Amino acid sequence: MIPDFEYAFYVWTSYGIFAAVIAWQFIQPQLRKRRIEAEVREERALQTGSYE
Amino acid sequence: MIVRSMSALIARDLRLAIRHGGESLMPLIFLFSVIILIPLGVGPGPNLLAAIAPGMIWVAALLASLLALENLFRPDLDDGTLEQWWVGQCPAGALVVARLFSHWLITAVPVIVFAPLAAQMLYLPAEALPVLVLSLLIGTPILSLVGGLAAALTLGTNRGSVLLSILVFPLIVPVLIFATGAVSAAADGMSARAHLGLLGALLILAITLVPLATSAALRLNIE
Amino acid sequence: MIWKTIKVNFHRLGSPPTFYRLAEVLAPWLWGGFAVCAAIGLYQALYVVPPDYQQSDSFRILYIHVPSAWQAMAGYVVMTILAVIALVWRIRTVEIMAMAGAPIGAAFTFICLATGSLWGRPMWGTWWAWDARLTSMLVLLFIYLGIMGLYAAFEDRRKGARVACILILVGIVNIPIIHFSVEWWTTLHQGATIRLFSGESTLHESMMPPLVWMTIAVKLMFGAALLDRARNDLLDQDRRKGWVQSRLGETA
Repeated sequence: MIPDFEYAFYVWTSYGIFAAVIAWQFIQPQLRKRRIEAEVREERALQTGSYE
Repeated sequence: MIVRSMSALIARDLRLAIRHGGESLMPLIFLFSVIILIPLGVGPGPNLLAAIAPGMIWVAALLASLLALENLFRPDLDDGTLEQWWVGQCPAGALVVARLFSHWLITAVPVIVFAPLAAQMLYLPAEALPVLVLSLLIGTPILSLVGGLAAALTLGTNRGSVLLSILVFPLIVPVLIFATGAVSAAADGMSARAHLGLLGALLILAITLVPLATSAALRLNIE
Repeated sequence: MIWKTIKVNFHRLGSPPTFYRLAEVLAPWLWGGFAVCAAIGLYQALYVVPPDYQQSDSFRILYIHVPSAWQAMAGYVVMTILAVIALVWRIRTVEIMAMAGAPIGAAFTFICLATGSLWGRPMWGTWWAWDARLTSMLVLLFIYLGIMGLYAAFEDRRKGARVACILILVGIVNIPIIHFSVEWWTTLHQGATIRLFSGESTLHESMMPPLVWMTIAVKLMFGAALLDRARNDLLDQDRRKGWVQSRLGETA
């Protein structure tokens, strides 16, 4: 299944770094969006006094 | 009219620098502390010292130029003078150039004057001295121009100093390469003309483009 | 007539709610396209392509190293175009997009440097060489970091974006000069320089397809991440504005 490479450590570490950075680029905006939305909701709840 | 405004600004900056006394000596103190500390760090061998001398003197000039950048425009921004630059009759770009010129006079000229002495202390061959001075004469105005741009860009922030060095460092790489290359070539008995020519090209490019960007950045920051 | 429709629609993009909605629709498709292209590219790179006769399997690093390097540079060009538009026409969504490019470009520069280092260790026997390409890539990373730092240092986001746009323009003039000077410097100081891509132009045909797929994948990913980040910045800056409030009102 997993191909057996010469220099396997270098190849897999490289691909690992690539995958990790791309994944971070995907996840970080999602987390930030969720945080901003939560803050906006909280602020509005404080103003209107209605917690749903 | 323009010339009179510019020379008035330069005269004022110089007078301020002289009255502050200690601060205007900073570039020289910097140069000589580098020159004295380096042999203590790497050993007194003449060959090694001669090899690293151009780089060391240039790094000292760069740091001396960086030191004074933080207060290049800030006091004028705080007391409102900077806004007057755009209100008055003299074009603001000319005043920016004048300010950069006085920065060069204060931080670079002392280093250039004492560079031959410093180079002798590091055993740089005597035939490389004219090239060293020439490379400093052509190169240090670029340091002032680029540094002034970085100072203008960071003017509106409150933690300018760290950012300033991050911004200046990548932009200054070519200057350092060609200037030290010229001196090293001269020290090895080769012609330094190609390096100096490229350095001159960089200076012309910087003089034409950088004041525009600096004025634009200052303008944004006082809006 | 058609021209006018295009023009009106283009100007509509300058409006934050319209841009936000478009980005919201477009980004998942770009991410999806990235996933498909990357899956094909990675499968070919890891399973189909035979090992190189000189570098054995280590050359497989090329399939992420080279697309990342290209994207690190192409990303800067994209940012420059956006910066020019932002400075000339002062469109806020474009300013935000130009700024959103910096962290992604920095990420690709980092991938390029890290994988280059991991490739250099078995092939050249060293993690780092003062090679022209490596050094200019490192300088590019610092330019990206400078842009991000400058933008982040301003309290007024718009002012920060415009000032950082000026820095982007200064950088684009400087990058070729830096590259050229560093190349000169390494040939002067090192005699025989290690060339990273000695085999690039002679890359065998059977090695090409994964490179093409990965390059496309990375470009799509850049677009997707750019839209995601720009969208967040808009949301963050406009959190008190009506359109954000009503949007969240619907979804809540």
